[in-house]
Amino acid sequence: MTFTGEFIAFMALALVAIIGGVLLLNLNKVVHMVVALIFTFVSIAGIYILLSAEFVAAVQVLIYSGAITIIMLFGIMLTKPYDDSEAKTGKWRKILVFLGVVGFAIAVYLGIYNFDIKQQPSTLHEDNTMQIGKALYTQYIIPFEFVSVLLLAALIGAIILAKREDKEADKE
Amino acid sequence: MENAWLIPLFPLLSFLLLLLIGKRMKEASAYVGILMTLASLVFSILVLFERFQEPSYLVKFNWLTIGDMHLTAGFEVNQLNALMLFIVSLVSFLVHTYSKGYMHGDERFHIFYAYLGLFTFAMLGLVISPNILQTYIFWELVGVGSFLLIGFYYYKEEAKAAAKKAFIMTRIGDVGLLIGMILLFWQTKSFEYSEIFKAVEAGSVSNTMITLTAILIFIGAIGKSGQFPLHTWLPDAMEGPTPVSALIHAATMVAAGVYLVAALFPVFSASKTALLTVAVIGGFTAIFAASIGIVQTDIKRVLAYSTVSQLGYMMLALGSAGYVAGVFHLMTHAFFKALLFLAAGSVIHAVHTQNIEEMGGLWKKLKWTAPLFLIGTLAISGVPGLSGFFSKDEILAAAWEGGHPVLFILALIAAFMTAFYMFRLFFMVFTGENRGNQKEVHESPSVMTLPMLVLGILAIVGGYVNTPWFGSFLGDWLVDGNTALGHAHIEGPAWIMFAATIVSLAGILLAYLIYGKRSIAPDWLSGKGGILHTILYNKFYIDEFYQITIVAITKGISYFLRFIDVFIVEGLVKAVTGMVQGLGNIGSKLQSGQVQTYGAVAFLGLAVLVVIYALTGGYLR
Amino acid sequence: MSQVPASAFLALALILFCIGLYGALTKRNTVIVLISIELMLNAVNINLVTFSKYGLYPSINGQVFALFAMAVAAAEAAVGLAILMALYRNKKTVHIDEMNEMKN
Repeated sequence: MTFTGEFIAFMALALVAIIGGVLLLNLNKVVHMVVALIFTFVSIAGIYILLSAEFVAAVQVLIYSGAITIIMLFGIMLTKPYDDSEAKTGKWRKILVFLGVVGFAIAVYLGIYNFDIKQQPSTLHEDNTMQIGKALYTQYIIPFEFVSVLLLAALIGAIILAKREDKEADKE
Repeated sequence: MENAWLIPLFPLLSFLLLLLIGKRMKEASAYVGILMTLASLVFSILVLFERFQEPSYLVKFNWLTIGDMHLTAGFEVNQLNALMLFIVSLVSFLVHTYSKGYMHGDERFHIFYAYLGLFTFAMLGLVISPNILQTYIFWELVGVGSFLLIGFYYYKEEAKAAAKKAFIMTRIGDVGLLIGMILLFWQTKSFEYSEIFKAVEAGSVSNTMITLTAILIFIGAIGKSGQFPLHTWLPDAMEGPTPVSALIHAATMVAAGVYLVAALFPVFSASKTALLTVAVIGGFTAIFAASIGIVQTDIKRVLAYSTVSQLGYMMLALGSAGYVAGVFHLMTHAFFKALLFLAAGSVIHAVHTQNIEEMGGLWKKLKWTAPLFLIGTLAISGVPGLSGFFSKDEILAAAWEGGHPVLFILALIAAFMTAFYMFRLFFMVFTGENRGNQKEVHESPSVMTLPMLVLGILAIVGGYVNTPWFGSFLGDWLVDGNTALGHAHIEGPAWIMFAATIVSLAGILLAYLIYGKRSIAPDWLSGKGGILHTILYNKFYIDEFYQITIVAITKGISYFLRFIDVFIVEGLVKAVTGMVQGLGNIGSKLQSGQVQTYGAVAFLGLAVLVVIYALTGGYLR
Repeated sequence: MSQVPASAFLALALILFCIGLYGALTKRNTVIVLISIELMLNAVNINLVTFSKYGLYPSINGQVFALFAMAVAAAEAAVGLAILMALYRNKKTVHIDEMNEMKN
């Protein structure tokens, strides 16, 4: 195995992504956790580029590193996350879940370890965005429209959920 | 006659109407009941007159089909049915009218009328049924109606106990009827009366089997008609309102047993043993109940024992192959016994007591009731010229011709006793000094006296439809050439009539001497034969006998079963419930509302599955 | 064509998925739980994109599905946050173990 540029890039990106994830689990302050996760999201975007999915990578940066992170930061700011009340669940659950996760990971890894499909030549990297556009507006036009409806519903739902309490508070 | 099926539906309609809106109608609900039964009566009379000219009418349709077996339902109008329809609807109508006065002011007035409607429906349905299965259904419905009406004053302990007793004791008889019915079906493959008769006539049923089924069915009749040894419920049933006693426990329901035997008469007559059983039980009951009736002091109980005794007469007649005599007496008895009960109700209504020791000298105060009561008494005593005389004479002749001299003598003695205790009752209630402390005694309203008047007239003239003097019209019509039912008229020796007249007059004379003129001390019976009096007064200790034998055994068994129930069955039940509850408790603890816990548990389950999947290489071997 | 085997990408996705899963099941702060779920969705997206390139029949469909998944994830994040805000106003807490309304 030679150390090609692609390999190095993959190793670096994967490392950053995993470190970001581990930091997410182990940092103390909530804002730090979110910042750590931004690294993960960005490196995942890099991974997408390695997988010749430039458009998805761009969307990943926009949506995850941008929008969702900002939403989460707003959520953290609007609530009071540094409330140090006692946890109600014991250590046992953490241990059990950890064991379960490890077991799950090993079991699944056994499945993908020997993943060996002969690589087919693909043209995904040529005019990637155009290909996606063609697929979206021809083959997937109906799901695409549904997604727009979904987003609209989510928008309205979020507004109603967040707003109703104000009215009730006014009544009080 | 095609519309005879409407007859039972009128009272049913009344029952349903009163059940729904009776509460709002209050006393007006009486008019609903009266109107509906009047409709039934009119139809019944029409059917009866039609039946005089036309042959029997039978309609049936398939009700249930099981394999190649068809159970049918429908209705039939033959001679017996038409006659019974007339009697039942007439008495029911009169009782409905009478009750309007008697039950006046009762809180549950409309419920009373609703029950009356239900009972009348069941009874009319019973007599119109073309097959024994349908008869059985209505038979039970009649029992329910009787139960409800006896227990009408449910706040009285005695009434509750009496209702229960009546229901349970008739049930004992019904078991016999049910078994007999099933045996008949097994043997003849049909519930239809006509099919059964055909099979019996053709001799396709063995003799033993006929005897067995006939006796089993007779047990049902014993229960319903209050024959020995299941008679004890009938006197207790007098706890119900008096109109009910008149309707159910004198004229109609108790006659259902006699009707059943009469309706299945061809089956009975095919077996000498069965007929003899019927005759012996009937004859014994007749004299047995009459002897108890002599010493009772409750006006209604005296009448109740006389009912038992008269029903015994009917059974005796049927058992002596005197089909016509039995049915004839059924009819006349319905008239005069209903009259007696209604008159007794009127007396009770006036003096507010049922104890004849506290009555007396009511003749002048009750201008209508007293003469009517006298008519009834004369009729039941068998004084010549009244209805009871003719039917009783017919029965005595049947007993003599049937070849049962012993039973004949028993019946004769019973007739003497009947005359004696009925006139004892009459003299104690209506003559002499008033022994009670009733200040004001009023005659009952006309709504009560009019039905009595109608019955009084019928009690006088009812007998002339079948007399040795003017021809046996009823008998000819009832038998109508059907040889299985026996002779239309039994020509007994002339001396029987004289004997009957003499014994009844002797009974009246004796009663007059003791209770009317008081030339013989009233306590001669209790004085001379103290033991005898005590035994009679306590009704031969039959109830007590049942108490220490059957009831005690039943109680023993029930205690044993209760023990099993409490310690074994309940233990099991508790174990099961405890287990379920324990599981539930654990389950409810899992419902902590902790979303993460739920997720963790679900994921752990998945993880275990995935690990197993990986370890087994994808196949569960 | 490529030096990096497909299983490496899949392994990376697996590791990220497990991190997200562990976070979602153990963290007390509801915001972090939501973020962890986003991470899990991301891991799934990696798988989709990987198979779109290295699958048996490479095609653009995998990437399109990844895009759809992102749209759904965005909607989910918005609604989740709104629910979180509503809950926070009522209960004055963001700890997930104190939100046990389903118990009753």
